[in-house]
Amino acid sequence: MARSLKFNIFRYNPQDPESTPHMESFVLEETDSMTLFIVLNRIREEQDPSLQFDFCCRAGICGSCGMVVNGRPSLACHTKTKELPDEITLLPLPVFQLVGDLSVDTGSWFRELYDTVESWIHTKKEFDPKAQEERMENEVAEAIYELDRCVECGCCVAACGTARLRPDFLGAAGLNRVGRFLIDPRDERTEQDYYQIIGNDMGIFGCMGLLACEDVCPKHMPLQDQLGFLRKKMGITALKTFFKK
Amino acid sequence: MSVPLTANHKSLQCHRWDGVLDWAQMLSGAGLIAFMWMHMTLVASVVLSPSIMNAIAEFFEATGMAQVGGPLVFLLFLAHFALAARKIPFRLEGQKTIWEHAKLLHHTDTWLWVVQVVSAMIILVMGAIHMWVVLSDLPITALKSAARIQSGAWIFFYLLLLPLVELHVGIGLYRIAVKWGFVQRSGRKGLKRGENLLTLVFITIGLLTLVRFWFLKG
Repeated sequence: MARSLKFNIFRYNPQDPESTPHMESFVLEETDSMTLFIVLNRIREEQDPSLQFDFCCRAGICGSCGMVVNGRPSLACHTKTKELPDEITLLPLPVFQLVGDLSVDTGSWFRELYDTVESWIHTKKEFDPKAQEERMENEVAEAIYELDRCVECGCCVAACGTARLRPDFLGAAGLNRVGRFLIDPRDERTEQDYYQIIGNDMGIFGCMGLLACEDVCPKHMPLQDQLGFLRKKMGITALKTFFKK
Repeated sequence: MSVPLTANHKSLQCHRWDGVLDWAQMLSGAGLIAFMWMHMTLVASVVLSPSIMNAIAEFFEATGMAQVGGPLVFLLFLAHFALAARKIPFRLEGQKTIWEHAKLLHHTDTWLWVVQVVSAMIILVMGAIHMWVVLSDLPITALKSAARIQSGAWIFFYLLLLPLVELHVGIGLYRIAVKWGFVQRSGRKGLKRGENLLTLVFITIGLLTLVRFWFLKG
């Protein structure tokens, strides 16, 4: 017999002066292979058309459906109800600006982050549109690709104790982004340049090593290893800088 | 476009302290972990025989290590607190945020951090008392230690301090290993298991030592 699932969903519309933050409950009967994506769409279609939430790809690629599912930041489209208890609480991701109900604005946050870490290849070489693309070792390309898999869902930031305590912290997603350029041979930035960006408590030295980012990442990015690598690298740069003068 | 502050320019020398302070926090912590485990092992020699413990204490005093090393360890202890406190929220607002965060997330390592912070505050006070009492009444002997533990509420003092220190030290070592990348993703589970076991072993050694002191009569 199908389970009857109770969903406690955070409701608040900051645009509506009469709206106040509260929890609202909805009941649905579980169906085969049901995901939270299906649940929220059914609630919106059958019970409350005003429910706000973000979706795009339904396949864990666009990263827009990040939300807190029974306390854990996760992608709703990846989350199957059969893995959850009868009562499920859904909250919007913290840290990011709330658009309404379960919808948050991760885009502006990431845009600002990428400006801060200067998330592009820095090179003095002039671009020649007719030339063949510069070659790199397959291993290097694969390592870069591994770090490029981030879908910017914001789950790692929402799960991060440091990010909750200090709004200027770059978070695992931001630090991972820097790590991606650090191993890219086309980027001519030096370690000192990177140290300027992340060699402080806003960057890698702000990380307290709670590793919730590693544990909640829906794409299973190697965040623990990446953060350790950056701390060691920037730590050595810090010592070099310190003893030089 | 942001102004290219760093890109493609001759390396700008920056002397920010955050990196150095992070090293200092880690190294002071590692030093204290090594000290605590050595300290526990040496004091536990009383379980074998009070005369062994007395001989060890005598050695440390004859070489001046207790008189000089003791206060130095106390300084390291204070320095480690000051360094690690940079990350602790001292305002109620921050404390509420991290408490709510830990409750919501159901994530062991986040809770372990809360344990580390709370234990740090208690160890700061109790550890200072312990060091003052011991170092202001040298030489250390098994009988004097036993007399202290058998008097007043000192047994409860140590029954609280012991597990708090061992938890703090154990979690601290785990945290250093994963934070600095000394242990990779594949080794994290094993590290945690080993760490839990080591913490339990040291708590057991400590309890045995306390029992020995409790029954040691002059």
